[in-house]
Amino acid sequence: MKLTVAMVAASAMLAVGFAAQPMVITTPVVPPSHPTSTSAEAMTEVVQQYCTRCHSDARLRGDLSLEDFSVENAASDPAVAERMIRKLRAGMMPPPGARRPAGDTLVTLVESLEEVIDDAAEGRTSPGNRPFQRVNRAEYERLVDELFGLTVDASTWLPEDQISASFDNVADVQGISATLMDAYLTAASDVARQAVGQSDAPAASHTYSNDPAVSQHEWETVEGAPYGTRGGVSVLHTFPADGKYIFTLGFMSGWGERFHDIDVSVDGAQVALLRYSASTARTIDFQGRLGYPMRTDSVFVRAGQHRIAAAFIRQTDGPYEDLIRPNDWSLSGTEASYGTTSLPHLMHLTVEGPYEPTGVSETPSRSRIFSCRPTSRNEERPCAEEIITRLAAQAYRRELEDRDVDALLDFYDQGAGEGGFELGIRTAIEAMLVSPYFLFRIETEPGGVDPGEIFPVEDVDLASRLSFFLWGVGPDERLLDVARRNDLSDPDVLEREARRMLEDPRSASLSTRFAHLWLRLQDLEKVQPDAFWFPNYSRQLSTDMRRETELFFDYLVREDRSLLDLLEADYTFVNERLASHYGIDGVIGDDFRRVPYPDATRRGLLGHGSVLVQTSLANRTSPVLRGKWVMEVLLGVPPPPPPPGVPDLEETASSEGAKILTTSERMAAHRANPTCASCHNLIDPIGLALDNFDVTGKWRTRENGMPLDTRGTYYDGSEIATASQLADALLERPIPLVRNFTEKLMTYALGRRIEVEDQPSVREIAREASRDDYQMSAFIVGVVRSDAFRMKQAPDVASN
Amino acid sequence: MHFITGKHIERRAFLKGMGATIGLPMLDAMTPAGRGRLTSSDAPKRLVCIEEVHGVAGCNDWAASQHLFAPETVGRDFELLPGNVLTSLEPYRDHLTIVSNTDVRMAEAFAPPEIGGDHFRSSAVFLTQSHPRQTQGSDLMAGTSLDQLHAQRFGADTVLPSLQLCIEPTDKGGGCDYNYSCSYTDSISWADPTTPLPMIRSPRAAFDLLFGAGGTEEERAFRRRTHSSILDWVAQEVAHLRREVGALDRQRIDRYLDSVREIERRIERVEARNNSGEPRTLPGAPPGVPDSFSEHMQLMFDLQVLAFETDITRVTAFKTGRDASNRAFPESGSDRGFHPASHHGGREENILEFNKICQFRVSQLAYFIERLKSTEDAEGSLLDNTVVLWGSPMGDANLHNHRRCPLILLGGDNGVLEGGSHYNAPDGTPMANVFLTLLHRLGHDDVHSFGDSTGEFLLG
Repeated sequence: MKLTVAMVAASAMLAVGFAAQPMVITTPVVPPSHPTSTSAEAMTEVVQQYCTRCHSDARLRGDLSLEDFSVENAASDPAVAERMIRKLRAGMMPPPGARRPAGDTLVTLVESLEEVIDDAAEGRTSPGNRPFQRVNRAEYERLVDELFGLTVDASTWLPEDQISASFDNVADVQGISATLMDAYLTAASDVARQAVGQSDAPAASHTYSNDPAVSQHEWETVEGAPYGTRGGVSVLHTFPADGKYIFTLGFMSGWGERFHDIDVSVDGAQVALLRYSASTARTIDFQGRLGYPMRTDSVFVRAGQHRIAAAFIRQTDGPYEDLIRPNDWSLSGTEASYGTTSLPHLMHLTVEGPYEPTGVSETPSRSRIFSCRPTSRNEERPCAEEIITRLAAQAYRRELEDRDVDALLDFYDQGAGEGGFELGIRTAIEAMLVSPYFLFRIETEPGGVDPGEIFPVEDVDLASRLSFFLWGVGPDERLLDVARRNDLSDPDVLEREARRMLEDPRSASLSTRFAHLWLRLQDLEKVQPDAFWFPNYSRQLSTDMRRETELFFDYLVREDRSLLDLLEADYTFVNERLASHYGIDGVIGDDFRRVPYPDATRRGLLGHGSVLVQTSLANRTSPVLRGKWVMEVLLGVPPPPPPPGVPDLEETASSEGAKILTTSERMAAHRANPTCASCHNLIDPIGLALDNFDVTGKWRTRENGMPLDTRGTYYDGSEIATASQLADALLERPIPLVRNFTEKLMTYALGRRIEVEDQPSVREIAREASRDDYQMSAFIVGVVRSDAFRMKQAPDVASN
Repeated sequence: MHFITGKHIERRAFLKGMGATIGLPMLDAMTPAGRGRLTSSDAPKRLVCIEEVHGVAGCNDWAASQHLFAPETVGRDFELLPGNVLTSLEPYRDHLTIVSNTDVRMAEAFAPPEIGGDHFRSSAVFLTQSHPRQTQGSDLMAGTSLDQLHAQRFGADTVLPSLQLCIEPTDKGGGCDYNYSCSYTDSISWADPTTPLPMIRSPRAAFDLLFGAGGTEEERAFRRRTHSSILDWVAQEVAHLRREVGALDRQRIDRYLDSVREIERRIERVEARNNSGEPRTLPGAPPGVPDSFSEHMQLMFDLQVLAFETDITRVTAFKTGRDASNRAFPESGSDRGFHPASHHGGREENILEFNKICQFRVSQLAYFIERLKSTEDAEGSLLDNTVVLWGSPMGDANLHNHRRCPLILLGGDNGVLEGGSHYNAPDGTPMANVFLTLLHRLGHDDVHSFGDSTGEFLLG
């Protein structure tokens, strides 16, 4: 059976301004022939002829010798075979410039290797194993949100999660320690208090600080601040009780400025209007410090989570460009100078209170908790039992046993004895949130399992696997029902449930969790473009960029698009701020929408600011980092890191006589060094093709006043100079992307790293998906139906 | 490049101003905390271990000739020339012991796949002086760290046997390279060769760990009571659960149970302390992670001073950077990223540029020493009964080498170190020798070797 996939990049997708040629790329996806042993021997011959010049016992390039390697016996050392498959599929070996066999010999070679390995694995693949997962920061936040409708920042309590193979949920590196236990306890106490409210809460103060990269320019408003304001601080604060609170403001910059009005609002309603420097008696120094504090009178606020915003009243309307001091827009340069007027920025907001608390009003989280309200002493305990039973079933993600409820009721009794019904409920919630059934996803092992034995994951545990994979939280009632009937272990039922759950809005967590970590969107914030060169860049813009990529990925899932849209999409998601950054007209307002790219300068993910910025340095683009990102994150073939002692690009002369060199010219000089060339010949052309995007992802055609030259030779020999041509070159050979995506999806779904032994399954899922035109659901369902997802293998005695 | 070179905003100074006026919780503005229990000189010595990640500029060959780290003269008459990375410590030279020319060879590559992985392996070596097993999985293997040896012996009767702090986030996209688990990159404290301890980055979380969350003493006491009974129940639940799980999970469950027991003991120790000594008011908790490096460092130092002052712990480990971080430190006078700057290519101008960053980072120590020195203990100052160790498992970060690494010790009149001296080790001396001697001086007489130590190091 020969399978080929024709991918037609419809001309409609390549809109204005680009040669509208439909491209038909034909790619063999599955081994078309079954090589006989003679052809395997012939392939061994190819390896010996073309690979062993470098991969010899003597030269050991890449710490690999293939002198004794034979394709027939590839299964005896799958680790080596898989390395070869990866490099061959990517088209990276033999390297550019080296002798290559004619025709499709290399394709036959890699197919033969895959066949040998997959045949050997047939019927004896292990589903693998891992210890139980614990709730990490991101999951904790979601679980608290699901249980109580409360937005919390888990980093307040929990230690940093460790990333392994790109993900934060890999079980075997999730440490367990007294520090962690202590953090879970503190979190539980705080969350229980925030959810129930605390009428006797002691007055406390909480200070929130603005990120200095937040722009407070005339045209920027913060979330929740009224129209007609600029900049400011906006926070979601949980008020423990109805009572009086005081808001105190801290500033930066603002030297020589006065007469700024500051609007303080709770959920959009003004509660105070303050004047910055109302009288000359108030002295403000160049750091924005006032002679005495600026605070509101006490303000009555009801219990619960409210958005507090403090923002300046906008004084200028219409276009506003201050080209003399553009770096005043944000404080990312953290510089200010004496003697120059500068705009004040709000940096700190302190909430102090409650004073004179009067009780706890109804809040969304209280309505979720208190499904009944006792009106007499007699009703209290039955009501408590009802509440606890409902919450705990959700928190423990399984059917409760009597002992579960009894234990929590003991805590209710303890609290109620000290402070009545509500304290009882709060104490029970506190205990529930540190129960190992809440914090850990422990999967029961059936009795009598022998070491090394393969067994199915129990239905109820499978339900949690599925819901944490697709939703990032525990299962809903329906999924638990299916599990309770032991139907979930039926792969067809499992698939049906998975498809149902993909329809649910909660599956957005595949974009905000999975894609976020896979595409390394957390690195975006770590790059702060130099405010002198890039005054338009702000935290607001980087947040939009992250959102763009998440929405794009979410769209692929929701519309069940092809994975290859990642590279060939002629559309993206922008709001006004991002659209104007990209030079796309006609987008007004803060809301994101899907828009077609106006021309072919941007295409798919490679035109996203989130990718282009995270791979830049503060003051220049880095084609090396961009090339590395594409190879590592998209293709799964990371280049080896540079050997120590290699000069970086900064060491290369930045000018030749009077001529300022462009990044590409400096890189060419860098590549002239033969130790660097072997890898940079692969990396640099990829990044160079993206060099028309500056540090902030904006389109440019010149650098340092010199026209940019982005031309390079992709390692398969194609000439590329633009993002679009790079995308074409990558699409020419989709297997690396497709398999790497599958592998990442599995890592995230299983909570363990994908090993050599898993590669036959990865290939199988990717192969199936190719039959469905790489539809997203095909990958997701493929992972869910895999043995690795549904089964486990008990560890060998030896590994205990 | 910066257009205006006027003045960097000193956010710290700014916040101090705020603290004074609006009650922004800053620790240094506050009264001593908790129930004080000052320690006398016969109490076990406190140990602070601070790691720098990229070595220092002065460990490059040319820079060594300029004495950017090791002073030219050994002994008491050493001179810290203007470019020396330690100049900010000149006011404390009587407390300062410089040890130059020791090696951290356990951080070197032992096998071809390890070559180049220095940044991901070094931190695990610093305080263990042991070579980490190359793995991404849970089969970690390094060594027991210096701070933990001290804590396990002398920390048992404090509330927290030891405290782990760090500055940089650890969520870098992708994870760690060269087939090394991020545990090796992110922790310098190892309770045993297979157990790295998490380092806390948020000053707020560290404060809560030290003193308990809750804001008031009444609320803290209430929470302790609740936690006590919850922990009791959790321990039963865990025992129940243990029966239902496989072998792989059982190990983790046991570790969890140990953690539960440890917290129970902690609560008991707090209660015991509170039944003795004078009650005092605790300061408010500090906010989360500040943007500014120096502000963050100072808060972490404040917390350690506070923890010593209240004798809640005697041992801390402090990781001040993350290997290969590109963070820039504009306050240093250089706008280069930390890691790119460390790859100075051996060029003099670039070494001097990197040196600015190193000087700035080391200068944070002066604040800590001053705080320790100016805070009273039962006899003398906190510094007297404390040994501060600062060093790096890398020497010349440009080459990723681990020879001639920087190491200094600071302390008061504590009978451990004489201070005011520069020791230049004979070539090839393991840093572990210094640690071994230090252990002996700190009361671990029965420890005969540490990491790759070959013997004692003669310290004054």
